[in-house]
Amino acid sequence: MNRNKLISLIVKIIFWVGLIVFFSWAFSNDMFLPIFEEPGAFFNLLGEHLILVLISGSLAILTSIPLGIFLTRPRFRKVEFFAVNIANLGQTIPSLAILALVMGFMGIGMEAALVALFAYSVLPILQNTIAGINSVDEDKKDAARGMGLTNTQILWRIELPNAAYSIIAGVRTALVMNIGTAALAYLIGGGGFGVWIFTGIQLFDNAYLISGAVPVSMLAIAVDYLFRGMQFVLVPKGLRLARQAVS
Amino acid sequence: MIQFNDVSKIYNGSVKAVDNVSFDVQDGEFVILVGPSGCGKTTLLRMVNQLEDITDGEIILNGKSLKELNKIEMRRKIGYVIQSNGLFPNMSIEKNVMIVPDLLGWDRKKRQDRFNHLMELIGLHPDEFRKRYPHELSGGQQQRIGVARALAADPPVMLMDEPFGALDPIIRNRLQEEFLQIQKEVNKTILFVSHDIDEAVKMGDKIALLRDGQIMQYDRPAEILNHPKNDFVSEFVGQDRVLKSTSLYSVKDLEQTVGLSPHDDSARIKTIKENTSLRIILSMLLNQEADHLVVEDSHGNKKGSLTLDHIEKFLQVEVREKNDGVSLQHE
Repeated sequence: MNRNKLISLIVKIIFWVGLIVFFSWAFSNDMFLPIFEEPGAFFNLLGEHLILVLISGSLAILTSIPLGIFLTRPRFRKVEFFAVNIANLGQTIPSLAILALVMGFMGIGMEAALVALFAYSVLPILQNTIAGINSVDEDKKDAARGMGLTNTQILWRIELPNAAYSIIAGVRTALVMNIGTAALAYLIGGGGFGVWIFTGIQLFDNAYLISGAVPVSMLAIAVDYLFRGMQFVLVPKGLRLARQAVS
Repeated sequence: MIQFNDVSKIYNGSVKAVDNVSFDVQDGEFVILVGPSGCGKTTLLRMVNQLEDITDGEIILNGKSLKELNKIEMRRKIGYVIQSNGLFPNMSIEKNVMIVPDLLGWDRKKRQDRFNHLMELIGLHPDEFRKRYPHELSGGQQQRIGVARALAADPPVMLMDEPFGALDPIIRNRLQEEFLQIQKEVNKTILFVSHDIDEAVKMGDKIALLRDGQIMQYDRPAEILNHPKNDFVSEFVGQDRVLKSTSLYSVKDLEQTVGLSPHDDSARIKTIKENTSLRIILSMLLNQEADHLVVEDSHGNKKGSLTLDHIEKFLQVEVREKNDGVSLQHE
């Protein structure tokens, strides 16, 4: 336990030192110049990036959580097996390949990018929703049924609260991946920070590269922290305490 | 009252889990379903609150066939306790206990009063546990909460599926005693599944011994122990069934059947209460703790003394005489 804590402390220190070194290097070499010289373009790209992530992400949440709930109903158990396998398979397809596939059907532009990002985000949320609901102890559901809870009450009072941790973790993973993948949207004309990143790559211009890549990373980290916070708020207190007691 | 009329449960068209079972459970009766694993006892229990469908026959609850009752409503009127307690980890103890009253729409004040009352009944401090969560409690405490939760809406009928099965022997024993006390107070009609004949003898007003989905014998514990109907029953209750049966009688029973000797202060004596179980008396005598045991009634009057001879005579009367009756029936 103490050993682990020590290791995690060392890792944290190395991370922060590295970060400080990187930023001092970047600032002293004017690596963020594009952001200050073209604030209009920067906020434009930020806006595009956020729109890509927010729209595709929220559509993914709104489809995959209900779909996960639907697939875990006893009536659809048989379909669930297929769905989980398709989801697993889908997960192995590289993000770039999905973009390419979607471009094949829809051509280029923001719509195509949205569809690709949506497809990419559905799977982790779906998987975690199904896994979370399935991890709810059969005995607990049996007790609930035996006491006269309806199926809907079992879903809302037992299954979803107990699966909340897993579902939110899925959303977190999906959104963080989504933010990273949205940087590739440029390749099919979707806009976002990918514009600067790929410009930087093509022109060997570190300033553009970093002015695009660093905001993307910061966005991903911010979303990650936001959802950690949401886990704290949305996961029932008893489960949070139980989790702490175990670890 | 619960009536089972030719109840059968058939899985996959061929496996008979419950085979043509008929028996009645009277109001306020504590009936134990006991038998080896796979005998259908749990299935039979779960058919009462319709967690299992009835393939054939019918179960009648207070004069109404289960088929006529709304599943959800009837379940809320039946207390249900399972082995692994089934407490919901996302809910506080108070929410867990009060879930059925909550579903039934009781107001806050009524729920709170009921919670306090139930917690006192099971011997846990209401305010200490109200806001805590299941994982913070010991196994014994969790199981007590499980019992309280089943009692929450004051259902007339309780179904208990090996509620104390997962506990260590000392805690199990204590919870059994406590539950018998609670039952004296609440007087529910109880169906209780167990695989442990000792538990069945100790707790039940009646025992239904099952094998392969059929009832082998349905009787008072003393009858099951002293007059097993067939080889399976006598094997299941064990070779020491006579010893087991001594825990069912008190000194008072012995006094009424064979009487006591006048007491004699000269020998090594020990004083005992009239309501002491014969099992304890037997153990004291075998342990050479005294030559005579002097029996005292609740007012402290000495009523006489007893020795091993009395117990032997009593068991002869209880076991042998009635056995003759049974063997006559067999012929």
